[in-house]
Amino acid sequence: MRKRFAGIDIGSRTIELVVVDDSGKIVISLQTDTGFDPMAAAKNLIHSVEYDRIMATGYGRNLFEISFDTLTVTEIKAHAIGARAFFPDVQAVLDIGGQDSKAISLFESGKVKKFEMNDRCAAGTGKFLEIMAKTLGFDIETFGREALLAENGLAISSMCTVFAESEVTSLIAKGKSRREIARGLHTSVIQRAAGMINRVSSVGDIVFTGGVAKNPCMRRFLAETLGRNVLVPEDPQLVGALGAALLAREIP
Amino acid sequence: MSEDYRGMWKDLGLDLDGHDALLNVLGGAYQDIYLAQKNRPAGMGYFDFVMSEVHGLRIRELLDEKKAGRKIVGSYCVFVPEEIALAANATLVGLCSGADFAMSEVEKLLPRNTCALIKSSFGFKLGKVCPYLESADMIVGENTCDGKKKAYESLGHLVKNLYVMDLPQVKSEQGRALLKSEYQRFRMAVETLTGVAITAESLKQAIQTVNAKRAAIHRMSSLRKADPAPISGLDALLANQVFFYDNPARFTASVNKICDELEKRIAEKKGVFPEKTPRILISGCPQAVPNWKLPFIIETSGAVIVGEESCVGERGTRNLTDASGKTVEEMMEAIVDRYYQVDCAIFTPNPQRLEHIQEMAAAYKADGVIHYGLQFCQPYLMESIPVEKALEEKNIPTLRIETDYSMEDVGQLKTRIEAFVEQLR
Amino acid sequence: MNMLQQIAEQNLLDIEQAKAAGRSVIGFYCLYSPTEMAVAADAVPLPLCGTRNTPIAAAEEILPRNLCPLIKSSFGFAITDTCPFFRFSDIIIGDTTCDGKKKMFELLSRYKSTHVLQLPQNQDPETALPLWRSEMDRYKTIIEEKTGIHISEERLRAAIQLMNRERGARKALMDLGKIDPAPLSGSQVLEILFKIGFMADKEKGISLMEEVVAQVKNGAFRSDAAAVGNGKRILLTGVPVGLGSDKVVKIIEQSGAVVVALENCSGYKQAFIIDEAKDPMDALAEQYLSTPCSVMSPNTGRFDLLKEMIREFSVDGVIDLTWQACHTYNIEAFRINELVQETLNIPTLHLETDYAESDTEQLRVRIQAYLEML
Repeated sequence: MRKRFAGIDIGSRTIELVVVDDSGKIVISLQTDTGFDPMAAAKNLIHSVEYDRIMATGYGRNLFEISFDTLTVTEIKAHAIGARAFFPDVQAVLDIGGQDSKAISLFESGKVKKFEMNDRCAAGTGKFLEIMAKTLGFDIETFGREALLAENGLAISSMCTVFAESEVTSLIAKGKSRREIARGLHTSVIQRAAGMINRVSSVGDIVFTGGVAKNPCMRRFLAETLGRNVLVPEDPQLVGALGAALLAREIP
Repeated sequence: MSEDYRGMWKDLGLDLDGHDALLNVLGGAYQDIYLAQKNRPAGMGYFDFVMSEVHGLRIRELLDEKKAGRKIVGSYCVFVPEEIALAANATLVGLCSGADFAMSEVEKLLPRNTCALIKSSFGFKLGKVCPYLESADMIVGENTCDGKKKAYESLGHLVKNLYVMDLPQVKSEQGRALLKSEYQRFRMAVETLTGVAITAESLKQAIQTVNAKRAAIHRMSSLRKADPAPISGLDALLANQVFFYDNPARFTASVNKICDELEKRIAEKKGVFPEKTPRILISGCPQAVPNWKLPFIIETSGAVIVGEESCVGERGTRNLTDASGKTVEEMMEAIVDRYYQVDCAIFTPNPQRLEHIQEMAAAYKADGVIHYGLQFCQPYLMESIPVEKALEEKNIPTLRIETDYSMEDVGQLKTRIEAFVEQLR
Repeated sequence: MNMLQQIAEQNLLDIEQAKAAGRSVIGFYCLYSPTEMAVAADAVPLPLCGTRNTPIAAAEEILPRNLCPLIKSSFGFAITDTCPFFRFSDIIIGDTTCDGKKKMFELLSRYKSTHVLQLPQNQDPETALPLWRSEMDRYKTIIEEKTGIHISEERLRAAIQLMNRERGARKALMDLGKIDPAPLSGSQVLEILFKIGFMADKEKGISLMEEVVAQVKNGAFRSDAAAVGNGKRILLTGVPVGLGSDKVVKIIEQSGAVVVALENCSGYKQAFIIDEAKDPMDALAEQYLSTPCSVMSPNTGRFDLLKEMIREFSVDGVIDLTWQACHTYNIEAFRINELVQETLNIPTLHLETDYAESDTEQLRVRIQAYLEML
């Protein structure tokens, strides 16, 4: 039996598990909600697969390390490696997850050059978009498409999720177009993200990962705002776990 | 610490309950952070002892000095010359504190968005938990940063004898002249306080005493250039922190003893961490006792700290005072010359600091620099961006951290620092 | 009042013409450096403190986000080259006032020649005044070298006389606020004061202000006054405000009150007179050093001025404005509150905000609640 290497990305909202074979090809990928008991959820996932070695990343990695025989790596390095697996020459990665966002620049060699994180506040993350979608009565899956249907966007001035929500509510009360509000909100998130990626990397293609990368409006606006190619892996949420799995594979 | 001290603390006017709480937390933290380290030099036992008696034996020593006629002068800045205090029969103790305390009381006098170091100092006063503060006969504030400058206006109402030292903001002829006149004024104030006039002998002696302390620290710093590092950053920081309030001669002897041991370790290639552990230089705001948060995270994330470009660290101890003068005036001039070189970010412009950071990174063979800025500290936070740019242009990986004293962001800091250490491997 | 609209455009044209005629333009960011020095060398002094939110985003790519909006706005204008007054300036004169400005000037000097004067941190006549006086000599040399004009004692005296007249006119305009009911709104007064600062021809500014005062004395604006009506009389203290950063003034007046007095650099801190009997350089150093900004420690001048103004302007309430991350005014706010509590038996309303519109409603609620207390 060929050797198998697993990577598990324990986020605050979802957990991804990726198993690669010794050629680095993905053989299994699973996802579950983190829920209230991250370790129980992680345990369920890993018990359903077989592997020779596992590497953990994400917010819950240290907790995982206590209960399971594993190595850990930060989500920064894991995302860098994972992004490179999909796009071998890329030197910039933007990851917008449920509750945090990060921008990473890489050397030509693929090593991390510089990174910046926003993990203190929901603004500019998937959570922001979820809350706003709900306030506007849209489904999170179709939120991006609805935003793209608007010709213009209404500027939202609040950076803070809590205040932006009240701002949106008062715009709705004034009878403003929900699609235009949606478009304005997407612009807000992109502005934050663009600022972050610009500070670590100013040219070249960008790999966009994380749940928010599935949002077509975010992808389009990112490309337009930065004037750069935005590359999105087939399953953008797996990138961290894949990176961890590939790293597990590299260990002699 | 023994029960003995409760009477002493009560006499000083400390809030015994609050003080007990503080000591408990301090003791616990010291256990988890310091005593949990592996491969420590045996000589660090001295500092373990100092910390266990930090509010006990040392305070008793200071109170005994007072009984014998000496005065205690408290200060919040490395610009306050210890030489002058010592020469006038006073003992200088550093009062900057590194833990949040009595925050709700503090926020009645200071805005919440004030730097943690300033708020902590107020908290220790309002909470009546610092025997150093309460033993001081004179407390020196200084016009350095905006926060401190304005905070002292309120501190003046809380302590019995606040003396504010003015400082220049520009390194120019006028700036140096201001520093000199302020040192003359300080000298007169301390002489009035103690009733003892400074003489050429006492000043020379004082300079030599402080120089000896600095030289011991220089020696230790130099030994940290080795790989593997013979002493941890945590331990070296502690020595730098205790520098500010220990008995000078005993401190000097203890550090030198540790250095003897470190030399042996280096010969045996013995270190705190394995060879080739990523080496980090910390640069920026001072870390006052018991602020051990950042070095603890760094050194439990697979790296070792090999230097501190900070007032509690090399920026504070960098140069010796020229002791060759024959008269008080000559030596005062030498003191001005020595302190004038301190490159705190309150100076504009401040190019020497960047040079020093680069020199230190090279000298201590640092793999990367972590810039430490306290939240709301504008001078250092504003310098952090040009510093980072300049270091990266020289291919020195840099990470900028902005934080406070709370434990809320430990998780986030750990992720960033681990990621940074991964970059360095 | 219509003339105010045209003033802004005319100001730009006038400055262009002045430059074409060989006059220098000197940019300032603070009240501590005497504009007389520029005037004495036939130069045009321009107050460059940013009052708009738009350039801040650009500034935040280089400066920390947690910084006073005035500093970020000023820097943002400089780096985006979107402020014609900054562009017109030949050199910048800065002072070591607050930490933020101090460190900002270090970066600003990459965009334009910047000379920073070492302002003392207290106003002690024995120690601080000599330092400032010697900086005045250095300042004079800087202006002379830039303009090529020797600043003789005569020129300086003439400049002092002229600026004394301008400040006299400013004071007369602001003193209209002592009338009850106030004939002009705070917004109107602020707009005039702000735009006057950019006039290349000081006489024009003086005439304009004198005319407004005359019109008021002759009964003009009476209908406006009725609209202002029985509104509570508010003194705004604290940080400088200008066109674009006057959101708090607007909200106060939209809520039915009137800002009758401005105890800040934009307003009454400019209502001083230079002693024309003294040696001009000495007089300038002494008067300007006494500017009661919170960067001074102690800042007793501000407390004295505030007490005086509360009395003279028959003030009902005091709103103390602090820009976010301004430590000096923020810390001083505690004792300003104590002073007002003692004097008027009510607290101040201390507001901390920035240039963005996003907290307008939160400010409105607080201001309205405060007005209801009075």
